[in-house]
Amino acid sequence: MKIGVFVCHCGSNIEATVDTAAVAAAAREFPGVVFATDTMYTCSEPGQDEIVEAIKEHNLGGVVVASCTPRMHEQTFRRTVERAGLNKYLFEMANIREHVSWIGKDREANTNKSVDLVRMATEKLMRNRALHPKKFTINKRVLVIGGGVAGIQAALDCADGGLEVVLVEKTTTIGGKMAKLDKTFPTVDCSSCILGPRMVDVAQHPNITLYAYAEIEEINGYVGNFEIKVKKKATYVDWKNCTGCGICMDKCPSKKARDTFNEEIGFTKAINIPFPQAIPKKAKIDPEFCTMLKKGKCGVCAKVCPSGCIDYEMKDEFVTEKVGAIVTATGFDLFDWTVYGEYGGGRYPDVITSLQYERMLSASGPTGGHIKRPSDGKEPKNVVFIQCVGSRDKSVGRPYCTGFCCMYTAKQAILTKDHLPLSQSYVFYMDIRATGKLYDEFTRRAMEEYDTNYIRGRVSMIYPKGDKLLVRGADTLMGTQVEVDADLVVLAVGAEASAGASGLAEKLRISYDSYGFYMEGHPKLKPVETNTAGVYLAGACQGPKDIPSSVAQGSAAASKVLGLFSKDQLESDPQVSMVDIKRCIGCGKCIQTCPFGAIKEIDFRGMAKADVIETICQGCGICTSTCPQGAIQLQHATDNQILSEVNALCQF
Amino acid sequence: MKFQKELKDSIRKALPELDVVIGWCGSFDPLHATPHFIRREEDIEKLEIGPLSVHNLATYLPGLRGKKVGIVVKGCDSRSVIELLQEKLIARDDITIFGFPCTGVVDQAKIKKALGYVGNVESCDMSDKSVVIVAAGKAHSLELSDVLADKCHSCRYPDAIISDIFVGDKSGEAVPAPADYEALATFENLSLPDRFGFWLKELDRCIRCYACRSACPLCVCRDHCAAESREPHWLSQENNVRDKLMFQVIHAYHLAGRCTECGECQRACPVDIPVLMLKQKMNKEIRDIFKYEAGVDPEETPPLLSFKMEEENITEKDW
Repeated sequence: MKIGVFVCHCGSNIEATVDTAAVAAAAREFPGVVFATDTMYTCSEPGQDEIVEAIKEHNLGGVVVASCTPRMHEQTFRRTVERAGLNKYLFEMANIREHVSWIGKDREANTNKSVDLVRMATEKLMRNRALHPKKFTINKRVLVIGGGVAGIQAALDCADGGLEVVLVEKTTTIGGKMAKLDKTFPTVDCSSCILGPRMVDVAQHPNITLYAYAEIEEINGYVGNFEIKVKKKATYVDWKNCTGCGICMDKCPSKKARDTFNEEIGFTKAINIPFPQAIPKKAKIDPEFCTMLKKGKCGVCAKVCPSGCIDYEMKDEFVTEKVGAIVTATGFDLFDWTVYGEYGGGRYPDVITSLQYERMLSASGPTGGHIKRPSDGKEPKNVVFIQCVGSRDKSVGRPYCTGFCCMYTAKQAILTKDHLPLSQSYVFYMDIRATGKLYDEFTRRAMEEYDTNYIRGRVSMIYPKGDKLLVRGADTLMGTQVEVDADLVVLAVGAEASAGASGLAEKLRISYDSYGFYMEGHPKLKPVETNTAGVYLAGACQGPKDIPSSVAQGSAAASKVLGLFSKDQLESDPQVSMVDIKRCIGCGKCIQTCPFGAIKEIDFRGMAKADVIETICQGCGICTSTCPQGAIQLQHATDNQILSEVNALCQF
Repeated sequence: MKFQKELKDSIRKALPELDVVIGWCGSFDPLHATPHFIRREEDIEKLEIGPLSVHNLATYLPGLRGKKVGIVVKGCDSRSVIELLQEKLIARDDITIFGFPCTGVVDQAKIKKALGYVGNVESCDMSDKSVVIVAAGKAHSLELSDVLADKCHSCRYPDAIISDIFVGDKSGEAVPAPADYEALATFENLSLPDRFGFWLKELDRCIRCYACRSACPLCVCRDHCAAESREPHWLSQENNVRDKLMFQVIHAYHLAGRCTECGECQRACPVDIPVLMLKQKMNKEIRDIFKYEAGVDPEETPPLLSFKMEEENITEKDW
């Protein structure tokens, strides 16, 4: 094979610490290399044209580009060599930027290392074979996991684009965190007035199938052809006939059930509909509190239900849905703030979370929109807001900024003044982060028009004093200690990855960061893609996000799905495992270790052999390291290719 | 042996249903035994079991796949059978296992070392305590415990763990103590250059006969061994110690979590290279990481032959 080598300067990114001309000169001496040069920007149009011309002029059979990471430009250069008439797998990349120039300053050592990497790449390239992708048809349906605002947006956009959508929501209603909010910043418009119509659209859209109170049990398959097992959890109410009239909820004698929708400010009934605008508006029994399910006595709801849809015997149900793409919009959960002993660790009833306060402000909330202290129901006069509770705090393992707390705290301060004109709000903050459109104006308004007292500093202690709470903290701008007699303390609790995010990630085969937030394909250029083809992200599951950003991501994910489905067939990646049937002894060890179920046993003239299902194989290589006789090989990273790279590097 | 007659009777009873029963019989001299393939009634009388029954006959089973095979096993051999069953390399319905309580087998290398060359062996008399060898008209007496194989001194499974017919009295139901790998620990305390030097020295005399591979009951690649393949081309045929060491490392890796430490590799080695130690090292690691011992439960899956998203004792996230 005649090989051409192109060593990229990447402006000064590489050239500053690597002598690229020397690398090209060294490469000319390698076996097989007939052409080598250094170029300013190999990925630019003139850079790519140079490759095409060299292939034609020197009749090259393969190309090595020494530049950045393959994650960045492997696809670019593969297209380049394809344009010149070569098979795109007759191309190798040596990463001399991330692996060399960016991590070391010694020009000589860097140059030597670059030469080694190029030698390895040429040795591997010499053993590359032309690979050809197979085509397969796709199922143009999409699964959206999570019915918060991001999931709703993604579902509606996909459905409007003509796709059939399956929306799976964990709780009994869609709406997510946004449905719990009273107002939204920076416009202070009513949250349920803007979200409600969208939720109704989901319910009425002919292309959307909604599974509320359901979870993803199993995901099999691959891009274009996923098979999803959905668990419809038992509601003990036949939703086909439930009209959402709410009589059961009125009459239910079990009044101490956990009210998760209202963030447990009060209690709800054992059979309940979380809020009036719920979609679907259907009742569900909480088995933990229903006396009929616990003790077999009661049955009031069954007696009063006008459509007779109470079914105490109901069991979880499983349905299988086939889809071609998945949008994950599983959102976030609130940080458990009770780890903070200085805020009372949960002992004081009048220290509440911002989301609890939000429910209190909401007209459909448990207090009917009146601000009342949980301890005695009195209206508070002094309200203290504490920011960064579980944000920007390494000591509790949450060094990141949640990003939207500054804004909702300003909003809550404004709403407090609206509800209680005689009240005074205090905000303890670290920095104000108000970087969105109209955001800074909004926080200024809270300070200037609504007379909120912003104190830059942390609170060191909260303790009860009579029926009030004494909040003691620092004012770092004044350099003094501050004490406030508070009637109510609201903690701006940060966001964390939702419970169960990691479990779902494993089912989806996507990766997540150390906090449990899902990893995007590229932090800048692929914000809604994942590294698993056909799986996309929307909203706060990828990192804390406010409503506008979540909606934008929902639409972005939908556009990616619509783009994917614009073709009728997809090409499978040919860089997969293949079995050499002569060497295979049919022991089945590869079948046992394959995490994707991509290998099956076949009968070949009476002998058991392994066979790879190309479209399912992800090319991870676990089978190749399991097979003792080397009978199964990755097509683009065979044992011999790896050995040749090792031999190129370790010449003893 | 007391139960030899009982064993022969049970083989006689089972033989009509079987293609072959594998045991041991006398060999070229009274000091050696050889594997014995019983196909006819008259073969049965030749069967002899005792301290000379060193061979792990399970090695033959994968090659006889599809036939009805009876096999006589010591405790250690039975673990190889279990491992082969686990890996579905043999079918349980096809094999009939004859177990007996083993009291240890000799290590021919130790006898050779103790006596040197003694000429033609005329007789060999084994009791519970001693071995008396008459060679060239001269009697040599050895303590049996001095010439027992190393593995027998620390044997934890003297009785066959799996058997269809068990003859003799079981030596005890005691739960075996975990393997201690004492000798290995001593070796591991040496410095890295010392250890590497040891292997370069030992393996320098390797003649690449691959007897270790042929004797191993779990080397099941048949004629597709990585040692002689060009696709993939893991080893060259050059005569250098690194390739020899590389082969032993590949062998040990292929056996990680599968090896039952029967010691056949080392026993078969014509130049007495202590290759078992490499496998013991792998097994020790497997035991520490996966809490697993190969060849004990036919229903288990060896840890390296399964895929888990999260391993209990490997926390990649902390790396």
